[in-house]
Amino acid sequence: MKTRISRRGFLAGTTAAGLTLAAPAIVRAAGGELRVLTWEGYAEPEWVEPFKAATGAAVSIVYVGSADEMFARMQGSKGADYDVVSFDTSIFPRYIDAGLLAPLDVAKVPNAANLAPAFQHVEAIMRDGKQYGMPFGWGSLPLVYDKAAFPTPPDSWEAMWDPQYVQQVISQDDANNCITLGAIVAGVKNPFNLSDADFETVKAKLIALKGNLLTFFAGFDEGVNIFAQNGIKLMYSMGEPQVPALQKLGVDAALTIPKEGAIGWLDCWVMSAGARDPALALAWINACLDPAVGKVLTEKSGYGNTTNTAVNDAAGMTYGDRLIWLLPAENYEKRVQVWNEVKAA
Amino acid sequence: MSPRLARIGLFVAAASAPVVFVLVPIAAFLIMSFWRVETSQLVPDMTVANYAAFFASDTYPRVFIETLQLCAIVAVIGVALGYPIAYLIWRQHGRLRYVLLLLFAIPLFMSYIVKIYTMRSILGLQGFLNQGLVTLGILDQPSLLFIYNRLAILLTMAVIFLPFAILPIYLSLERIPRSLVHASADLGGAPLASFRYVILPLSAPGTIVGALFVFVLALGDFITPQMVGGPSGFTIGRVIWSQFGLAFNWPFGAAMASLLLLVAFVVISLAALIARRQRV
Repeated sequence: MKTRISRRGFLAGTTAAGLTLAAPAIVRAAGGELRVLTWEGYAEPEWVEPFKAATGAAVSIVYVGSADEMFARMQGSKGADYDVVSFDTSIFPRYIDAGLLAPLDVAKVPNAANLAPAFQHVEAIMRDGKQYGMPFGWGSLPLVYDKAAFPTPPDSWEAMWDPQYVQQVISQDDANNCITLGAIVAGVKNPFNLSDADFETVKAKLIALKGNLLTFFAGFDEGVNIFAQNGIKLMYSMGEPQVPALQKLGVDAALTIPKEGAIGWLDCWVMSAGARDPALALAWINACLDPAVGKVLTEKSGYGNTTNTAVNDAAGMTYGDRLIWLLPAENYEKRVQVWNEVKAA
Repeated sequence: MSPRLARIGLFVAAASAPVVFVLVPIAAFLIMSFWRVETSQLVPDMTVANYAAFFASDTYPRVFIETLQLCAIVAVIGVALGYPIAYLIWRQHGRLRYVLLLLFAIPLFMSYIVKIYTMRSILGLQGFLNQGLVTLGILDQPSLLFIYNRLAILLTMAVIFLPFAILPIYLSLERIPRSLVHASADLGGAPLASFRYVILPLSAPGTIVGALFVFVLALGDFITPQMVGGPSGFTIGRVIWSQFGLAFNWPFGAAMASLLLLVAFVVISLAALIARRQRV
């Protein structure tokens, strides 16, 4: 099973659980009602309220904390319980194969014209010439560094392998993300579809990295704390929010997307195959592509948006076009096994 | 209801909790270790393929053996620290003895995660240990010698599981009749000789039981190695854990967990056997 990028865990612990329980209670008589299944931060009052006012519809929101839970909810009702859902590009095949999504009538989403160029042609959301999603929020797994050690940002991930920084490097501990990064740095053509020979290359590359690591970390806060307490210079990060967290602890940290690129996740709105009122669902997706919504998303939650480039730029999220969007990997079990071999080496 | 029937009823009620909460989950594990996974679905089966895959792997059996070695060393350190403490407590009189005993048992009431974080803040670069050594002039600057390596795992686990070493050792010391110690002294045995020929042999069973306790607890702990062990913090517990997430190979994880359980069971049985012989 896929697990959600751990950024979700960061949020899930706080309020998601409570809201998941509370949200289904917000149900009104059928008719003008939109049922939303999403992550925390993707259905904020700033755009839910105007949507309600404009359409006269009620909006019921269910938040989940993991991709597995989201899929289980959709699968359980074959999509009949929800109208619109949001998840990242790597999970699209799973939903499309299960017949849980309806293709979008792009003509009814005029705001799609607002999408920044980097998000106008995303291969992962297409199937047989039909479009199944609209890009909405994004982020990356960047290289975070200490500016005291690097007056100019390191231009390559290879800096993490530099023996000069032995025991001053830490890495996240997610099998899929680490194998993918190893493949990106080793120059494998498709980091999500590795051959056996590729796996050997990646394994050797990651074992070499291990020699330079102080430790792996398992969690947002854990990474930030270890970085701050042990004079770390470089970190394979779990996401943008780790940088302000480090700055709060007095570390002059910054992030960079090295020349090889970095993993990006791109969340999209989709329409459920069981949507009761497709026109209303499309109206919601359209409303979410308003640049004003993108502005709030980025300024409030810290995620990149897909429509408001000026706000992204102001937040430093200028690198959407240099990210390698997550795709489903060839074999997760094999990835875990290879990652275990790296860690046991 | 006849008294006999009532007694049976009471027995069933009392036995049902351990059966439901302990035996059934373990049985479920054992059964699942013979299943297989097909296209992300668990398929009930009766295959030994998971066990075969474990022994055929050139990584996992090695990690298993290294974990056993690690835990054995932890047990030795645990006893090396625990025995002098237990002895010290035993030599006290009156209330002091129980105050001391309570003091060393208090960590048992603390959260296990809190203890790991505490150890990490002691051993870390800016930890008390480094600060102390730098203040004393033993080190020029804080060192990463004590954290994120094998030494850190050994120290942290030994300290966390220390109460489990102290208690059985103390109990076996307390069972030694003072008259035997006095007799040894009366017969001209120097304190060291009394310890060597009377106290040590008589407390050996409790000491071995303490070591085995620590060993089994360390065997089941995959969080401590990961949190303080750095790149060397990879144990069989972590391998088992990894099968239940992204890999989604629960049967393989269950098979390895069953092997781990088997080792723990053998060790605990050994401890029980030794403890029973001591009572005679």
